[in-house]
Amino acid sequence: MRSLLSFLKKEYMETVRTGKLIILILLFMLFGIMNPATAKMTPWMMEMLSDTMAESGLIVTNIQVDAMTSWIQFFKNIPIALIAFMLIFSDIFTKEYKSGTLLLILTKGLSRYKVVLAKTVLLLSFWTLGYGLCFAITYGYNAYYWDNSIADNLFYSMAVWWLFGIWVISLIILFSSLLQNNTGVILCVGASVLLAYLLSIIPKAKVYSPAVLMDTNSLLIGMEGINAYIKAVIVAAAMCIVCVAVSIPIINKKQL
Amino acid sequence: MDVLTIQNLRKNFGSKDVLCGLDLSVPEHCIFGFIGRNGAGKTTTMKAVLGLLKPDSGQIHVMGEKVHFGQTRTNRYIGYLPDVPEFYSYMTPFEYLNLCGAVSGMNKSDIVARSKELLDQVGLGGERRRIKGFSRGMKQRLGIAQALLNQPKLLICDEPTSALDPAGRKEILDILLAVREQATVLFSTHILSDVERICTKAAFLNDGKIAMQGTIAEMRNKRSSDGFIIETEQQGTDDTLIKVFGELKRKSQNTFVFHGGEERFFAIMQYIVENKIPIQRIERIEPTLESLFLEVTK
Repeated sequence: MRSLLSFLKKEYMETVRTGKLIILILLFMLFGIMNPATAKMTPWMMEMLSDTMAESGLIVTNIQVDAMTSWIQFFKNIPIALIAFMLIFSDIFTKEYKSGTLLLILTKGLSRYKVVLAKTVLLLSFWTLGYGLCFAITYGYNAYYWDNSIADNLFYSMAVWWLFGIWVISLIILFSSLLQNNTGVILCVGASVLLAYLLSIIPKAKVYSPAVLMDTNSLLIGMEGINAYIKAVIVAAAMCIVCVAVSIPIINKKQL
Repeated sequence: MDVLTIQNLRKNFGSKDVLCGLDLSVPEHCIFGFIGRNGAGKTTTMKAVLGLLKPDSGQIHVMGEKVHFGQTRTNRYIGYLPDVPEFYSYMTPFEYLNLCGAVSGMNKSDIVARSKELLDQVGLGGERRRIKGFSRGMKQRLGIAQALLNQPKLLICDEPTSALDPAGRKEILDILLAVREQATVLFSTHILSDVERICTKAAFLNDGKIAMQGTIAEMRNKRSSDGFIIETEQQGTDDTLIKVFGELKRKSQNTFVFHGGEERFFAIMQYIVENKIPIQRIERIEPTLESLFLEVTK
């Protein structure tokens, strides 16, 4: 247990000292501010564009913005934040294989599964922190300018999208245990998400695809309840556990 | 007792057989030189000992315990220094040793005491900088400190001196010599002067097998003398010598080198005695490890 905690401490130290934490905080803060800011600026932008739009026959009438506009922006922007998060951390394993830093630590007697666990905990905690920060900032501004109660199932929506992030992280871990370089990891995670998306197009398979977790609009406007997502949630959660569990024997057999 | 025994170790990478039935035993408290050309399989052998690489067949025992690939239990007896050690560059040496100590299960006070002691020993005691700014020699010395942290029975160093300047090499060799009291040292190299300087035993690795092993003296004795140097006292008297014995080669004014059988050498001696040729010195040319290595790996 002590060796796991020490390695975990090293992981946090790395994130702080290599500047990744600062980038992460700034990134999620920026995204958090952008959502209400975009909503707030929409009427003004429409007004600016109204002349041009009038020429093409579109007439801009009074634009109504509220917390919902901001929340829809939030769920539109968060995939970009997740992609940035993946790019920042895609080399979390592969960098150690390439440089040989892991080799020395393993020869000191650290069990390989602890490496997987420590890195998983780090990724989960920073995703939760970043995502939570982004959400809290948007929530705060929305509460100040408008009223958050307009959005139905807000916390469900938040949790569902958070789980999607966790699902992506578990894919990062799985592909990192299989591959040697981070470009491969990024491509494979991207391909998996695409596959899940394609699956969600098929009507019968849709409810099981983790890609459904990205589409929270119907949940927000109250068109659908959490029940519509339950199967996808179970599939995604099970896949997370399986991915991490499978990574351990793969890493155990990896020649370093 | 043997700290390390390797029996019939085999490993191939694709169609290339790197190790073909390697047998090796390293006794306690010696400095064992593991010598081979580049690509001979030294690193492969060492990684197999550390359980980092899966051998195709063969057995490895460290302190009598079998080494299993992927599981690193036997590594608690081993300290390892790779050829180019890589550390977490954002840490200070002290922080790095702390991490190593905690990972290997040492208790806190031991880690602090031992880290300080080792950093002093390798000359990094006052170093407060992060590892990022370290030179290659400094990294190599930190590598030795981390390898010795948990007081290993066996210290494995993979070409520790290959990439260093003469001063850096001397520092590393001195540290390894000092370590001999605490641990058995197995170090791979292709620098034979390093082996002659510090090793008590050595083995030549060639074509994936041990071509020769033993103490340095034993290995030298396995090969007969490389010949003799005969130096006469005055110039002139030796002219007759070279006329009679055509195989003598003039090295300098009155110095000759002789390569040939003992019988022929005694004939030269007899001639010298009979003709009363004044002699300055007669010296047997000792075989060097280098000539031995070249002969074995031919």
